[in-house]
This record gives sequence, structure tokens and C-alpha cells, in this order.
Amino acid sequence: MKPLKKLGALVWALLRELADESAYRRHLAAHGRSHSAAEWRRFSDERLRARYTRPKCC
Amino acid sequence: MKRTIGWLVWAAVSAVAAVALGAVALHRGEGINSMWLVLAAACTFAVGYRFYGKFIAARVMALDDRRATPAERLRDGMDFEPTNKWILFGQHFAAIAGPGPLVGPVLAAQFGYLPGTLWIIAGAVLGGAVQDFTILFASMRRDGKSLGEMAREEIGRLGGFTAMVTVLLILIILQATVALVVVNALKGSPWGTFTVAATMPIALFMGLYLRHMRPGKVLECSLIGFALVVAAIFGGQAVSQSAALAPVFTLTGTGLAVAIILYGFVGSTLPVWLLLAPRGYLSTFVKLGVILLLAVGILAVRPGLQLPALTRFTDGTGPIFGGKVFPFCFITIACGAISGFHSLISSGTTPKMIARESHALPIGYGSMLLEGFVALMAMIAASVMEPGVYFAVNSPAGVVGATPAAAVATISSWGFPVTAAGMASLARTVGERTLFFRTGGAPSLALGMAHIFARAGGRALLGFWYHFAIMFEALFILTLIDAGTRVGRFMLQDMLGHVSKPLGRTNWMPGVIGTSAAIVAAWGYFLYQGVRDPLGGINTLWPLFGISNQLLAAVALSVATTILIKMHRARYVWITGIPLAWLLVVTFTAGWQKIFSPLAHVGLLAQAGELGARLQTGALSAAQAAETRRLIFNARLDAVVCGVFLVLVATILIDSIRVWTGILRGTRPARLNEAPFVETQLDPEGL
Repeated sequence: MKPLKKLGALVWALLRELADESAYRRHLAAHGRSHSAAEWRRFSDERLRARYTRPKCC
Repeated sequence: MKRTIGWLVWAAVSAVAAVALGAVALHRGEGINSMWLVLAAACTFAVGYRFYGKFIAARVMALDDRRATPAERLRDGMDFEPTNKWILFGQHFAAIAGPGPLVGPVLAAQFGYLPGTLWIIAGAVLGGAVQDFTILFASMRRDGKSLGEMAREEIGRLGGFTAMVTVLLILIILQATVALVVVNALKGSPWGTFTVAATMPIALFMGLYLRHMRPGKVLECSLIGFALVVAAIFGGQAVSQSAALAPVFTLTGTGLAVAIILYGFVGSTLPVWLLLAPRGYLSTFVKLGVILLLAVGILAVRPGLQLPALTRFTDGTGPIFGGKVFPFCFITIACGAISGFHSLISSGTTPKMIARESHALPIGYGSMLLEGFVALMAMIAASVMEPGVYFAVNSPAGVVGATPAAAVATISSWGFPVTAAGMASLARTVGERTLFFRTGGAPSLALGMAHIFARAGGRALLGFWYHFAIMFEALFILTLIDAGTRVGRFMLQDMLGHVSKPLGRTNWMPGVIGTSAAIVAAWGYFLYQGVRDPLGGINTLWPLFGISNQLLAAVALSVATTILIKMHRARYVWITGIPLAWLLVVTFTAGWQKIFSPLAHVGLLAQAGELGARLQTGALSAAQAAETRRLIFNARLDAVVCGVFLVLVATILIDSIRVWTGILRGTRPARLNEAPFVETQLDPEGL
């Protein structure tokens, strides 16, 4: 049961990383801010600007 | 004792790998079960990782966990962040897995399953994984620098500039090639077209949802988006059966090409959050889910392979693309064995998130092996179909005949029996009007996947699974197109900024629109010529893409070799030198043959010459003559593009050799541009 739980937690963490939700959480913690619509937009704009200047793999 | 057991286990795994590879390579006659391929790959990859990967990590790179990585030293909570190795492994794998490892093996299956399978297994272990790992290592030691920056610093300014131009050209050919795959998958298919078209408003809705309704809830939003996409697949079935709506969504190849070109332009100029980002999130989750589903499906069904190990087309007369098994199998399967594009990912986000140097082994080397598995699954999906059906779907009308009757007669005469009635029945079952001449690989991959899924979940769902697979392929190909166009625009603006400052500004709208239009026009032209090509277009564009992608891998391996020499590891230079030499032989042979082969179905200049001779007979109508002149121009243009790729890579190679010999002779300093050693402060038990 424990290994399954561990695997589930890892998959969940991966999904949150792929969804940028973990990065957002880190961003809030690093800047000592709390979540708001404006804060998410600020974070998202910066993150996406960097991501979409790099080629995606074929 | 433990050590002895370990060695015994690895000896057993190696023996199983040898037996399975032997069975795959030597089996003839009756079809072989796909599990032999899976076993051969799994055991070879395990041995390769355990011994070769670890050897490179320990002896060549001397990975040092006491050394702080850029993620720790430059930690900013955004790009630079020490990340759990398995999470980063998943993220890196999601970034490198694109349509390439799925489509390439399907096309290469025209030679039979054997050449492609052996190339995937050997290429991934000795080439692709080595490239990804060494570039990731090099970038990690250089604060996450890109391939272009490393080429400039380690080889020289000329190498750096050439690498950048090469990437831009490859992007253009890549966009055109994958767009053509989508066009051929959706041509004359109202069900598929509706489903894929519906993903646009769904993505816009997701963008608005994420921006204004539930900011930050990406997983929740993606789940809603996925439910809507599945609903769109069912909606597509209803549309295809509607007398009023079906004609609206039944588009010709040209119509679809124009729609995709417009989409590429709009997608690259709209705010990223509105369309690209939500599509990107959705596409990533669907991609990983479907790959997992396919793996489970293959393990559950354990299908037998219908395609022979080798077909008669190893002699170069294949209908899908011309050229012998050497070198064309090795450029057709790029991603899945070795892909230059991976070097851009390995020198992108990933090196900035590695917590410990030793994590580079599973992430760089291991992810590539997993991608090899994806390619192998695509090969299995293509090989579970009856060979006659496989060739009927993938062969262009210009080769097998323009009518179903002519096509089945030609294909059956090759020894692969197929009937028009059987093809019509199959098309009806999957909800399509016809499956003939659906070149590009996507429809046959979707058929193979649907075949596997349906055997696991009921034949009544064959139509749903076929269109689910088409939607899955189109979704992430379109993501590649919109993002690629945007990246191409940035690169062009970066170059033009040296000529005119406003053109370099990414917030100056005339510059944005002008450069976007230029990039879209460039790949749109190649797409259009592919759509109008009587031989299906993919026969020219895919080899061009394969050559360019492998040449980019040669650039990456040149950079890696330079770094190894500068690290005083010249005695290990064969690690990158052997795959580099192999790629140069393969790509230069393929490039040379594509340009100069006297056979018109292989050589572009010979093709132009043959068309020219036809023109000179004077037997063509005015319209046919105009069309022929266009084809001649396109064949010559493709030959020039191919030649430019070869010249660019030769330039980098010569520049690299100059640096290598200088260092080895002692006439040039072996100055490494690594970041200085800083001891890690991270908890050794964490991450």
C-alpha cells in the first residue's frame, strides 16, 4: 500500500509540475506573496514568455 | 554475496536481451509476437543504462554530487529550481516526446519491422541517449546555456551563428512536414476535421477560464478541456453523419493547408495565454496519457505482427518514400533513435532544474531510452495491420494508381493482398469515407492504435479509438506548429534586430506581424507544395526533415566532442565520435542521394530532369505544363535546401575539427567555459 501511495504522490507532483502549479507555489513563496488573479497573471505571463521563446521538440 | 547475485541478474538480463534480439532478427515466415520486440528493447535498454550510461557518468563526465548545480546556485523559484529527479524525468520526457517518434517508425515500416526496430534499439542506446546526456551535462556545467551559446563559446562565433541558422531552417522544414501529416490525416474526413477544429474554441475557453474565472487552476482547467475534447470526438461522429454539416467539414488538402497556415499565423501573434498555453497544457497531458494507454494496450493484447521482418522495398523502390534501407531508414526514424532536436531541450529548461549532477543520468540518458520505447510502440502499431492495408493507406495515388481498383491491384501484385471491398468496410468501421492514399503516417498509426485499443475494449469502439488517435496526433502537432512559428519569429527578429532595431523588438506590432508572416510563408510554401505533390509530399518532406534533424544531432555531437577534448578526455572521444561519424555518413549519403541520385524517385534533380523531359515532348496541356513547371521548381528548391543543410553542417564540422586538432597538438588552449566549483548545501537525503 505504501509504495502505491508513494507512486500516487509522485504522479500528482509530476502533474502539478507540468501544469506549472508547483512553480506558481514556489513563486509565491519566494516573493512572500499570496495568491490572487493578478498575481497568477503576472507569474503566468513571465513563465509563458520564457517558455514560448524556446523550440518545442519534434 | 550481494554483488555476485547482482552480476548473475545482469548476466541473465543480457542473455535475455541477446536471445530476444536474435529471435527478432532471425525470425522469418509466420508473424512474430510483438512481445519479442518489447523484451529485446527492455533488456537491451536496461543493460545499456546500467553499464554504458553509468560508465559515461562515472568515467567520462565524472559527475560529482558535491558540486552545486545551477538549480541550487542560481535558484530563483522560477526557471532555476532544484527538482525531484523523477518529476524532472517526467517533465523532460514530456518535452522530448513529440510526433516524430510516432510517425517516423510508421513510415520506416515500409522496409519491414526489422530494420527500424534494430535502429531504434541500437540508435537510442549508443547515439540518442549519449547525445541527450552529454549535452545535458555540458549545459548543466555552464549555468543552463543553450546549444547555440555553447557552440559559440566552445567552437567559435562561426559555429554559433551556423548552429542558429541551422535551427531556424530546421524549424521551417519541421513545421511544413508535421502540418502535412495533419492535412493528410484530416483530408476528406468530416469527423476528424470537426474534432480537431473543436479543439480551438475549447483552447480559447480554457485560456479565458484560466485567466479570468479560475486563475492558477491549470489541472482543473485541463480536465475540463479533456472532457470537452472527448465530447467533440462524439460530436464529430454526429457531424460526419449529418447531411447538412458533413460537407462543411469535408475539406480538400488545399483547404486544410490554408486553414493550418492561417492558424499558424494567428496562433503565433495572439497572446500566449489565450491559445498556445492552454493547448500546450492539454496536449502534454493527453500525450502522456495516450502513450501510457498504448503501452498498457500492447502489454494487455500482446498482438502478433502481420508485417514481414523485411519487405522487398529495402531495395529502394518503396511506395511511401524512395531510397534504400541504408541510409533512408536511419533518417526516417530520427526521434526514437537519435534526434538533434533533443539537444535543444537538454540545453533548455532541464539543466536549470537538476538538483544533483548524478540525476543527469536517469534524466538525460533514461528519458531517451523511454522515447525509444515510444518509437517501438509506434513500430508495433504499424506492424499489427495487414501489410496490404498498411500499404493501401500509406501509398500515394501517384505510385499505386488513382482509383481503389488500381491501387489494390498494384499492392496485391507486390505480394500484399488487399481488396477494395475490405478497405471500404474498414473505412466504414472507423467512420471514414476512404482510407486509400492517406499518406503521412498518422492515419495508419491511428488505425494500428485503434486496432490495439479495440481489441482491449471492444470492436464497436474502433471508430472512436481511430478518431481519438487522430485527435491526439493533431492536437500536439498543432501545438508544435503554433509554438514553432512563434519561436521562428523570435529567432528571425533576433537576427533582423542587428539590421533594424525596431524589427528586433517583440512588442512592435508591425515587426511582429511581418516576421510572423515571413515564417508562416516559409513553412506554408513547403506545406503547399507537399499538398499539391502527386506523390503525396511526405516522400520528399519527411526525408528532408530527417536529414536536417540528424544534421542538428551532428552539430550537438560536435559540440559534445569538443567539450570532451577540452576536458582532457580525448581517450573517450569515441563515445560521441562514433555516433557523430555514423550520423555524418548516413546524412551526407542520404543528402547526396536526395540531390544527385540518377533515379527520379530518389534524386530531386533527376526528378526535375524527368519532368523537364516530359515538358519538352509538348504533349502536355497548358494547365499540365504549368503544373509541371511548378513541380520542377519545387524539386530544385528542395535540392537547394538539402544542399544548404549539408553545407551548414560541414561548416560547423570543419570549424570543430580545427579546434580539436589545435587542442590535441597543443597550439590552442583547452579553455573550458564551465562554471566554477561550488560545494552544494542541499540536504543529501532530500530530493
